[in-house]
Formats: sequence, C-alpha cells, structure tokens
Amino acid sequence: MVPKQTAAIQSNWMNGQASIGFRRLKSSLKNALLFIYAIFTLYPLIWLFINAFKTNDEIYSEPFALPNQWHWENFTRAWEVSGMGTAMVNSIIVTVLALALTLLLGALSANAIARFNFKLKVPIVGLFLIGMLIPIHSTLVPLFILMKKVHLLDTYSALILPYAAFELPLAIFVISAFMSSLPKEIEEAAFIDGTGYWGIFWRMMLPLSAPAIATVSILGFLRFWNDFAFPLVFINKTSLKTLPLSLSVFSNGYSTDYSLTMSAMALAVLPTIMIYLFFQEQIMKGMVAGAVKG
Amino acid sequence: MIKKFSFVLSLCLMILMLAACGSSPAKNGQAANGTSASGEKVKISIWHNFSGQDLRAQTMRGIIEQFKKDHPDIEVDEQAIPNDGYRPRLKTVAAAGEMPDLFIMWPGSMTEEFLSGDVIQPINELLDSKPDWKNGFLPNSFSGFTFDGNTYAAPTALSPTSFLYYNKGILDQYGIAVPKTWNQLIAAIQTLKQNKITPIALGNKAAWPAQSSILSSLADRITGTDWFLNAAAQKGAKFTDPQFVDALNHLKQLSDLGAFQDGSNSIDTTQAEQLFAKGQAAMMIDGGWALSQISSNATKEVMDQLEVTVLPSIQGGKGDPNAMAGVVGTGFGLSKSVTGEKKKAAYDLIYALTGPEAQKKVIDSSQLVSYKVEPDPSKVSPIFIKAQKLIGSIAFTPVYDTVLTSAGTDAVNNGLQELLIGGKADDIAIKIQEAQEKALKD
Amino acid sequence: MPSHTRARGFLAFCLIPSLLLFALFVLVPIVWSIYYGFFSWKGIGDAKFIGLDNYKEVLHDPVFWGALKNNAIVICASLFGQVPIALFLALLLSKSNMFQRFVRSAVFMPMVLSSVVVGLIWGYIYQPQIGIFNLVLDYLGLGSFKKEWLADPKFAIYSISLPIVWNYIGPYLVMFIGALKNIPGEIDDAVKIDGPGPFRKLFAVKLPLIWDIIKVAVVLCISGSLKSFDLVYVMTGGGPAHSTELLATYMYNNTFAIYRYGYGSAISATILIISLVLVAGSQFLMKGKSR
Repeated sequence: MVPKQTAAIQSNWMNGQASIGFRRLKSSLKNALLFIYAIFTLYPLIWLFINAFKTNDEIYSEPFALPNQWHWENFTRAWEVSGMGTAMVNSIIVTVLALALTLLLGALSANAIARFNFKLKVPIVGLFLIGMLIPIHSTLVPLFILMKKVHLLDTYSALILPYAAFELPLAIFVISAFMSSLPKEIEEAAFIDGTGYWGIFWRMMLPLSAPAIATVSILGFLRFWNDFAFPLVFINKTSLKTLPLSLSVFSNGYSTDYSLTMSAMALAVLPTIMIYLFFQEQIMKGMVAGAVKG
Repeated sequence: MIKKFSFVLSLCLMILMLAACGSSPAKNGQAANGTSASGEKVKISIWHNFSGQDLRAQTMRGIIEQFKKDHPDIEVDEQAIPNDGYRPRLKTVAAAGEMPDLFIMWPGSMTEEFLSGDVIQPINELLDSKPDWKNGFLPNSFSGFTFDGNTYAAPTALSPTSFLYYNKGILDQYGIAVPKTWNQLIAAIQTLKQNKITPIALGNKAAWPAQSSILSSLADRITGTDWFLNAAAQKGAKFTDPQFVDALNHLKQLSDLGAFQDGSNSIDTTQAEQLFAKGQAAMMIDGGWALSQISSNATKEVMDQLEVTVLPSIQGGKGDPNAMAGVVGTGFGLSKSVTGEKKKAAYDLIYALTGPEAQKKVIDSSQLVSYKVEPDPSKVSPIFIKAQKLIGSIAFTPVYDTVLTSAGTDAVNNGLQELLIGGKADDIAIKIQEAQEKALKD
Repeated sequence: MPSHTRARGFLAFCLIPSLLLFALFVLVPIVWSIYYGFFSWKGIGDAKFIGLDNYKEVLHDPVFWGALKNNAIVICASLFGQVPIALFLALLLSKSNMFQRFVRSAVFMPMVLSSVVVGLIWGYIYQPQIGIFNLVLDYLGLGSFKKEWLADPKFAIYSISLPIVWNYIGPYLVMFIGALKNIPGEIDDAVKIDGPGPFRKLFAVKLPLIWDIIKVAVVLCISGSLKSFDLVYVMTGGGPAHSTELLATYMYNNTFAIYRYGYGSAISATILIISLVLVAGSQFLMKGKSR
C-alpha cells in the first residue's frame, strides 16, 4: 500500500524532474535564439557607433571592421559643424510640446470614442483614418500656403501644430483600443461613487491606459525627432532648425562625408534611446494598480 | 507617475501657449517682396545649396559673408539648404508663389520651366554694363540660361560630365595604350577583364551618371549634336531613329562585355570614385565633380598615375571626336518681383558671386569654372590642372538632362538602368521617345 | 447617472479641440491637394483645369500599377511578418528580467535609427562584392545563389522588403506587450488552474482579449506600408528602372523631381482611396471576436 503509493509518487517526481530538465533545456534554447536575434537586430546601431570613430577612408574600404584608431574628435567636429547644440534644443522643445499636445488631445478623444456611443462616431473615426493614409509630402504645399497666411512660418508652432495634428489619428486609435478593453464595471462603480466624467477620465482612464500612452509617446517622439520635411520647408531661421536638418550639412549632393555624418547621427540617436528605455519601463510597470478590486 | 505626468503636461501646455503667442504675429516677410521704405536697410533674400563642408561650398559662403561686410546697408537673408532638400523646398515655395529674391538655378530645363511660369527676370542689363566681365566667360557659357535673347543667370561653375579618367599605371602594366578609338577601347576592356581588373568604375545608383557622363557624349559621337537638339525639340528627329538606337547599343556592348563592375546600378558615384581613386579600376567616365573626390582620396602613388582625356572616337559617327558633354554649373536666378533698390542690391550680389574675383576663388577651390582664369597650382591637385588644361582645347556638347524635359530625362535615366542589366535598346528608345513627345505636348 | 446634457458637453469637450486641430492642419491640406489633382500644373505659373484627366492617366499608368504591386508585396510581407513576429515575441518576452529587457530593447532599436543609416547598412549587406549576404552564401557553398540583390529588378523589391519588415517590428512589439500586460491577472491564474495547453490558452483566451489591439496593429501596418517612403528612397530611389518604385516615391518624384504637380496630387488622392478600401476591408474581415 504505502510502497505502491511511494513508488507512484516517486515515479511522478522523477517524471517531474525529467520534465523540469527538459523545460530548462527548452528555455535555454529559447533564450539562446532570442539572444542571437537580439544581437542581429542590434547590429546596425553598434555598426553606427563603431563607424562614428572611423575616418571616411576606413568606412569605404572596411565598413565592417573595427577602426584602426578611435577618432574621438569626430564627435566634436560633428557637433560644431552641424550646430548640434541649438538644433538639439530646438528638437527637444518641438518634440516635447508636440507630444504633450498629441497626448492630451488624443487621450481625450480616445476616451470619447472608446467609452461613449454617439451618432457621429463612425464618420469622425473615418475622418481621423483618412488623415493617417495620406503621404505627407502631398500636403507640403497646401500646408505651406496655409501657414504663410496665418503667419505661423518660422515659429515653433509651425512644427508643433502639424506634428500633433498628424499624429492624432495614431494616438486616438491606439489609446482607444486600450480603453475599450477596460471593463465597464469600473466606470459604473465610479458613477455610483459620484465621480463626474472628467474625474473618470483623469483619475481612471488615463492611468489605466499607461501602456497605450507610453506606446504613443515612443512612436510620436521618434516621428517628431526624425522628421525632415516639415522643418525643411517651414523653418528659415538657422536658430530654429531641428536636428535632422543639421545632420544633412555633411553631404553636398555629389559626395557625403560619411564619417562625420555617422558621428553626428550617433550623437543624435542617444536621446531617442534614453527616451525609449524610460518609456519601456513605464509600459512594463503600468498595471491595473488596484482599480479592479475583488 | 500620474501626479508627475499631469504636472509635466500642464507645464508643457503653458509653455506651448507662450511659445505660440510669443512668436507669431507680425512675423517677417522673409518672402516680402517689393521696394522698401527709404532710409531703411534694403533686404534681399538668397537661397543656395552650398551648405556642405567641401571647399567650394565654403568659398561661396565666404563670398556672401564678405559681401555682407562690404555692404552694411543691405540686409542679406541667406538660406544655405542641404542639396537633397533644395529642389523640393524651392518647388514648394514656388508652388505657393513665394520665391526668394535670388536663388540657385540649374541651366536648361529648370530655367525654362521657371521662365514659362513667369517667375524670373533677365539680367541682360547687368551683363551689358560690365563688358569685360561678360567677355571673360568661355564661349557658350550662357546658352543654358538664355532664351529668346534674354539671359537669366551667370554660371558659377563648369561641369564637364564626360572625362575619361584613366590610371596610366594599370594600362601600362598590361601593355594597353590609351584608347583613342572605340575598337581600341573594346580591346582594352577585354584585356583588362582577362586580367581580372575592373575596366570602368561606374556608380549608377542615382541613374543620372550613365546618362550625363556616358550617354551624353557617347551618343553625340554617333548622332552629332544637331540631331540631338532636333530630337529633343521633336522637330524632324525622333529617339527611335536608328542612330540613337545605335548609340544605345554601343553602351549595351560595354555592359555586355562586363566593362562595369558588378552591381554598378546600386552603388553611388562617390563609391565608384573611391574605387578608382584607390587604383582598383583602370578607367572611369565621370564629371568634373569627381576631381575633388579623387584629390582627397588618392594616395600620391595613385595620383601620379592618373590622367584625363576625352572619350574615344567612333568610326562613322557624326559627332566631333574632340568634344565632351558638359554643362555650366548653376547660376543665381533673379525673381521677377525684385525691383528698384532691391534690384540694384541684387545685381551687386550677383556680380560678387560670379564676377572675375569670384571665379578665381572658385577655381582655386578645385572647382572648374566657365571663365577664362588659371588656377593657382599650389592650391589644386595635379589631376585638376590636367583636367583644366584639357578643357581649354575641346568643344562642349550638350548634356542630355539639361536639354530634355524632366519627364524625358526620367525616361532616359530609367531606360539606361534597364539597359545596363540587359534591356533591349529598341524598347528603351521607344519609351524615351514617348516620354519626351508627351512632355512637350503638355 | 449624470445628465444627458452633461454627457454631451463632455463629449464635445473631448472631441472638438482634436477635430479643430486635425481639420485645419490635415483635412484642409488633403482636400486642397486632391483639388490640385484636377489640374495640369507644373508647380509654377498657371494651372490648367483638366477635370479627371490626371486621374484617368493614373489608372492607365503602368508605373503606377507596378508601384501598387510593389506596395502590395510590402503590405503582405509586413502583415505576415511584423504582426505575427511581434505577437510571438511579445508572448515570449513578457517578463521583467534584465535579459528580456535587453532583447525587447534590441528588437526596437532599428526604429530609433534614421532611415539613412538603416539604408546605408543594408546597402552594404546587400553589396554584391563585399556584402555579408553573398559572403555567407559563398561560405555555405551556395555561391550559385549569389545575386545583385538591390540591382536586379526581378527581386529588388523582395530584397527591400526585408529591411522594411525588420525595421518596424518594434512598435507592434511594444503595443502587444502593453496589451498583454493589461489582461487582468485573475484571468491568467484562472486559466492556469484549469490547465489547457499553452496553445489553447493562446488562441482561446489571450488572443480574443487583445483582439482590439491586433485590429489596430493591422490598420497601422497597412497604412504604414502604403506610405512607405524613407527606406526605399534612401536605398534605391525607386530604381533600378522603377522596380522598387512605391506609391509614395512615385508621388514624390512627380511632385518634386519632375514638373508634374497636378499629376502627383492625383496619385496622392488615389493612394488615399486605395488605402481606405484596404483598411475598411481588413477591419470588416476582422470583425467580432473581441472579448
């Protein structure tokens, strides 16, 4: 009686051990593959940083090798020549403000679309959709004429406002998708508690949508930070130029100084990496945080 | 996180509102045209694409700086625009009717299109007022900028497009004489291929090199210049004519022999020039702009071996065997709406940028000019001097993309890329003919 | 419950600012641009009204259809590449340890780089002489498979799809991870106790819960693929011989490189219509299934 049970338990346990071993193997294999994939994807970034230290010559003849000498001065030259200091400040201002505007208006509208039903919902969603589908270059001329008329050219708003406007559809779609997956019960509970619409939005919907907001922040940040077309056409004053413009001084149409371009890009990429890492944390942390109580 | 978030959000909104209010109203007419009130500074705007770090760009910017210093009563709004963005930006503002006062303009079709859009004015007055200057230009300097007797700009540079660069050392090594006829060229290529040396470096990723550098001169050798001008104007000649197809086939012959290195359609001119400058290709058919690349990238040993000449002659061809396709560089167009005081200031600036002193500075920065001036040997590389001397002894023929409409040019560029990977000359000729015909009708 | 008018007021407050900003800076330019499509215009000087001629020409333009086909290839590659891969990775990478954070960041990194860098590096990878692709093929003894990856029109477009797909997996990964995180913990636990295998757990439970996000991902994927411009423009400019021409590059060339502004606008408008149809179609196919 007991021995049979023990035997059974023992064999189960041994099976368990075997399957643990097997699972460990599976998991290390999985991790190994993931690691290889990660290195592979990370390679271009690594390549950029390595090349930033090379001279033009080395870049052409040995694009994949390590530099013979580590030319730290590439960075200082790139910084000075492209006027990166001012450009970066401008980029930061424009990007942060555009992002703030996008998030605020986007979250509000997402809230409306996700949690309410009203007659004009479908047409409005359709309108926002149209905005996402047009190649931006076709709107350059009309936008230019428009901004000229309202005297917005050559200001920060010339960038901030259209950036936010164009990013709104994405923000709305992503945030509303998150919001509609939140259970209705929390809202009803809040109503019973006596909270108004604004309270629900500000204190519940927003925090719960933290992953969505972080996602939109990352995407928006990248889009605004790297955009070339709008600052090219809407901004004249050198003191207002943003980063992508300043990066293009290294080519003159016939030839490009790749080593300085790479160093400049390596510098320009650092803030984006930091922002991404910051927001990634937020996404991982952003949790249901006690709203769904038992 | 929420508290922090909302705080930051509100802060941002406040800044946003301040920024928006603070900078907008009464904001400049950076494109404000018309005369200015007396007593105030005269304002002119100038757009150019000399934004790079190369010597020539720095020279041009330096000239503008000097002008600003010499003329404290004139306010110059200068926009140095990266080359990639120059044309899109210029066209955007043109479409909006907001041209700058002075702007870099390409000769040929671009000038013609601007003229037909009625946005530029001639500078005959300026040219005629300084006859010494006007006569200092090489013959035909103004043809790309002149329509109906009116000249719209003066060139800042000269771009021959079809130098045959060769590495004498490599040729000597294999007992090859400098090819002067087509057959000699073919023989040379075959010998080089046998010895596994890249015969001709080519970087045709952008599609225009095969057209500007090779075809423009090659076709001219066979068809002659008159035929080309007629075909471009669709007056009694077509691109489907046998002599043009013959020209295409000559190019195809080179490609079929493997004269160009693998993947030439996917590397750019800079990389091809690098290849040549490092002594890894025997020849290169490229323009004057390659000179500075070669100068900065060739070692002394390679540099000593480099020479230039014109493309070989083709038997039975109607073109001048001692000619090369070339076009003057860009010039500064003057917006139609510039009048009065501004016009005088603009004239002064144009003269500063394209006058005799400017031309000398430019040639000393290793850029060929369409002007009678000698470079300072201490400032330029040996190959530059050789190229410059060569220019003095040849005639110039048109470059395809300055004469054809942009749609026609597009068809040629794309057609040549196709040709280089095995396309059929006849089909391509038809496409080119159709594109040019249609564009002229529009 | 708060009154109806308060609801209306709040709704208006939520929507009107966005709509205003959007209408002014996006809708108006779009309509304007469509309007230009009815003209034959060089971008300077006079414009001639030609009604639907441009649009008719677009429909007959072989380069346009070639570009459309190329875009279709990119869309399929993205839809069946980016979304599933991102989903798969999101499921694997939902823990918080260092290693997983590292891998997640790595997957996202290409997004951070400008297309110029990405284009450059892939240009080098695909280079026929010294590029990695061909070198690896040689090493594996598959030398006969070597090609001019970007220069041969027969499959240049496929070569280009690879960097496009690989580059943009990041955002979807981020979205899916966020969505998965949002699945209330109890559901996960409940499912563990009941004990269905991992696949059933995936399909029957998790997918439906994040279906809304997947729908959005599909919309973004399609619209993004249709607007693809940067990478292709940097890597091949649409060549050789239009073999990698995409709708957006074709439109760009017509508007800014050659002087056919009206035609370029007509192309834009057509892109818009085609996109709408595709997106609507995809949403219709994906209806239901949520919660």
